[in-house]
Amino acid sequence: MPNWSLNGPQIVLIIALIGSLASGLPKGADAHPHVWATVRSEVVFGPENKITGIKQAWTFDEFYSAMAVQGLDANGDGVYTKEELEELAKVNVDSLQEFDYFTFVREAGDESFLPLKGPEDYWVEYGDTVLTLHFTLPLKTPIDPGAKGVTIDVYDPSFFVAFGFAEKNPVTVGGMAPGCTAKVDAPDAESAEAAKALSEAFFSQLGANSNYGSQFAQTALVKCEPR
Amino acid sequence: MRAPVTKILLGFVLALVVTMCAPLASAQTAPAAFGPSAQSQAAPPAFSGPAPHAAPLQAKGPFGSLLTWIAQTQQTMQRKLAATVKDLKSGNALVAGFWLAWGSFVYGIVHAAGPGHGKAIISSYVLANEETVRRGILISFLAAAVQGLMAVALVGVLVIAINGTGFQVNAWVAHLETASYALVFVVGFLLLVSALRRLWRRWTAAGSGHSYDAHAHAHAHAHAHAHAHAHAHAHHHHDHRHEDCEACGHIVDVRDIAGPMSWKKVLAVVFAVGIRPCSGAVLVLIFALAQGLFWAGVAATFAMAFGTAITVSVLATLALGSRQLALAADGQNASWVEAVWTVCAIGGALLVMTIGLLLFLTSLGPARPF
Repeated sequence: MPNWSLNGPQIVLIIALIGSLASGLPKGADAHPHVWATVRSEVVFGPENKITGIKQAWTFDEFYSAMAVQGLDANGDGVYTKEELEELAKVNVDSLQEFDYFTFVREAGDESFLPLKGPEDYWVEYGDTVLTLHFTLPLKTPIDPGAKGVTIDVYDPSFFVAFGFAEKNPVTVGGMAPGCTAKVDAPDAESAEAAKALSEAFFSQLGANSNYGSQFAQTALVKCEPR
Repeated sequence: MRAPVTKILLGFVLALVVTMCAPLASAQTAPAAFGPSAQSQAAPPAFSGPAPHAAPLQAKGPFGSLLTWIAQTQQTMQRKLAATVKDLKSGNALVAGFWLAWGSFVYGIVHAAGPGHGKAIISSYVLANEETVRRGILISFLAAAVQGLMAVALVGVLVIAINGTGFQVNAWVAHLETASYALVFVVGFLLLVSALRRLWRRWTAAGSGHSYDAHAHAHAHAHAHAHAHAHAHAHHHHDHRHEDCEACGHIVDVRDIAGPMSWKKVLAVVFAVGIRPCSGAVLVLIFALAQGLFWAGVAATFAMAFGTAITVSVLATLALGSRQLALAADGQNASWVEAVWTVCAIGGALLVMTIGLLLFLTSLGPARPF
């Protein structure tokens, strides 16, 4: 055996070296977005001021849009009809299931997500070099948001897709809902939830189930005044 | 080694200049892949009107402002790239061509600075091996060039030759990613095995009666040569061993823990990292193609690869610099130097393995919807 007697500073240096090696570990599979999507949501209300579902319209960036419609202009006329893009819409919503439709609905202040049913009325449209995916996510059990409210987050935990609400009319109220409002909350750096999201994100970055994207989640808050 | 590095760099720049310049003349008249305007569907009342503008992304938490800045910068750059490609058709092709090259180059630098991808693998790899800064840069550039070529080849074959769909392109990118990560794991594993074998040999030799220093002094040169031949590494890479420290054979000899450089090893890591096409480049290529300007996509791809290579080179150089710093901390102490080389060789190999394995497992996850 070679002589491995090391003094204090040397041991510190070795540890520093190992540390700098370890910092090269991949922080999550993809902590930078490859697809950008602009979100417009309509909160659909049914009878008795109950939310029955969320109608989504996600408009993708031009790069992804070009990729998605590539080869789908079946008759080659330069126009992408609803029929030609039907398969794309189906593949999109089918694979979205694995990712909980990137839509997280909660009663305000509650931890658990409200269960959603599979998407209905889905289609994609392509025009002006951008693709928009439309679909409606019904809630399993319609819920009255009341004064406390219901929150809707749209984000990709792995941040492969960067979702952001639209600048104009990001969230609207649809259906018969007198006294109900929907608005996007600005992220609050001070809030306890934000801090929690961050610490979760920090640790989960190291694994496959990265939660990095939650730091970018914007929350829409839906409230109804008591009738 | 100097000649190939210079040649590859030159080739890179030349290819870039040629692709940027050649089609300029025809740019204005290039046919669009699609008609002037795609007809849009009847939108539902809730989401009618033109394409929405996204509100700027905002991140929460203590690092929020930094993360916000990174994400917004990327988004702005990507939009600029798309706008520039369109400008090539309608505006001043020369100016737009310049901005496309510059924009892609900067995008490559920034894109590679985010976590993940080849740079952690390449940095760990050069650390684990007896690599010099020049070779670190060579590996970074070769890997980026192969990634760019793979992107062009993939889009060329799948989209231009057989008019495949975006699904097919996505599927192929995913397959190649999985294959790349598996190969990275194998490279890391082989690195680890050879490092451990060399270490074992040193220890058993050192344990056979001689004091370690005496042994090393006596056999330094013979050892280096024998080793190189035993592994059929037909390169004269051992000559640089003498340059800095002829007298202290024990320290030169200690580098053997990390193993000598060989083209076979370099090409293995370049291939493992490079067969995964850069996904950003694939997107730019398809967008450019849809605009009827494939050449612009190719130029953008190589400008991007150039930027990526620079970032990765810097990081690989930093890794080597920190090893150098650690070695210099007590360069006269043979056991210290040996410890640093051992940590680098084994730690680097373990890192390459771990990164490959983690990414491989992640890539087996459910198919992404987008």
